[in-house]
Amino acid sequence: MITHVKKEFKKYSFDYLLLLTFGLFFILALNIFRGERLLEFIFLLIFVSFYIIWGVYHHIIHDQFHFKIVLEYVMIGFIILFLLKIIIFP
Amino acid sequence: MDFSRIKNIFHHLFIPQEKNNFRSKLLHLDFLSYYLLLALFFTFLFKTTPFYNILGYATDITIQKLYELTNKERRKHNLPPLNYNEKLSKAAYQKALDMFNKNYWAHFGPNGETPWQFILNVGYQYEYAGENLAKNFLFSENVVSAWMSSKTHRENILRKDYTDIGFAVVNGTLNGEPTTLVVQMFAKPSATNFAKELGEKHQVFASEKKQLSQSLRTSSYSQPAAVLAKKEQKPIINANKFLYNFNLGFIGILVTTLILDFYFASKMGILKIRLTGKNLAHFIFLGFVILGLFIISRGSIL
Repeated sequence: MITHVKKEFKKYSFDYLLLLTFGLFFILALNIFRGERLLEFIFLLIFVSFYIIWGVYHHIIHDQFHFKIVLEYVMIGFIILFLLKIIIFP
Repeated sequence: MDFSRIKNIFHHLFIPQEKNNFRSKLLHLDFLSYYLLLALFFTFLFKTTPFYNILGYATDITIQKLYELTNKERRKHNLPPLNYNEKLSKAAYQKALDMFNKNYWAHFGPNGETPWQFILNVGYQYEYAGENLAKNFLFSENVVSAWMSSKTHRENILRKDYTDIGFAVVNGTLNGEPTTLVVQMFAKPSATNFAKELGEKHQVFASEKKQLSQSLRTSSYSQPAAVLAKKEQKPIINANKFLYNFNLGFIGILVTTLILDFYFASKMGILKIRLTGKNLAHFIFLGFVILGLFIISRGSIL
């Protein structure tokens, strides 16, 4: 499994680095503006949107684009958005 | 009990095989739609069910718990526990209301109001006094641990000069957003005031001691719409604690399924031929979300 992860990272290093960088910015922003509920939700919204766009971009660039794949990213993104919204705005 | 049946169901849900089109069933689009419906239910309809905390956007912070945790920290450092003081709680409550009314989040108000002013206004003459503030935390444990991690707040909690403590946990709207404020006030009565009050205190001390836990819950500053410490208003389950744990559990199951799916798919050599999203990307995304969830549960202190 580790070999496959390494291969995947090596093959799409730019894409994964982009995702990791954005994730780190998301964590950093949440940490800086801790306790600011509206900002926390905005950061979450931006991160979820970025993740969906990343999924679409990645699969288009590498010729693996399919509506089912887009739907998978959209659904996972929205599930997380709604679940975390309850925590941010209890 | 038919174990092979259970095993088959488990395999079908978690492990890619021919029967589930070489993708863990829990990651199929139909299952993702169910999760989305569940998330929508929790976001929009859960609040209307009897299970939901009747206090609205309440958190799991109680005065009782804050008091216990603060004294626990003092005991750890061989310091005497602080006495719960109604006057200090009233001052803390008034400070919280003042922050909501004048829309500020600071020790000092926009018109120069000081924390000490609130203490004096309730008729508590102090020799030493201190204040700790917290905003938008979800759990009492996180409030006290955040204070203990900050040098100045920690000094307040562990200062040996203090003898009394008061708290207020108040919900309201600050800068246009729903906010939970926690105000913790410490003090030591001034010697003259102390001598004056000693006579009265001496008489009621025994009964006060017995009723301490009750008074923490039924304080007159625990207004129904605002303060969360009333034992009688506790719901069957704490909705926010339940939702927080549900979120963690759900994301945990999703991450586990992604790992299992990736592991078996890579073993079977079908990663490249499947028409699915990237498990690794989902895993990274969910990893950051879990980290974010921990940060969100910890508000800010001042």
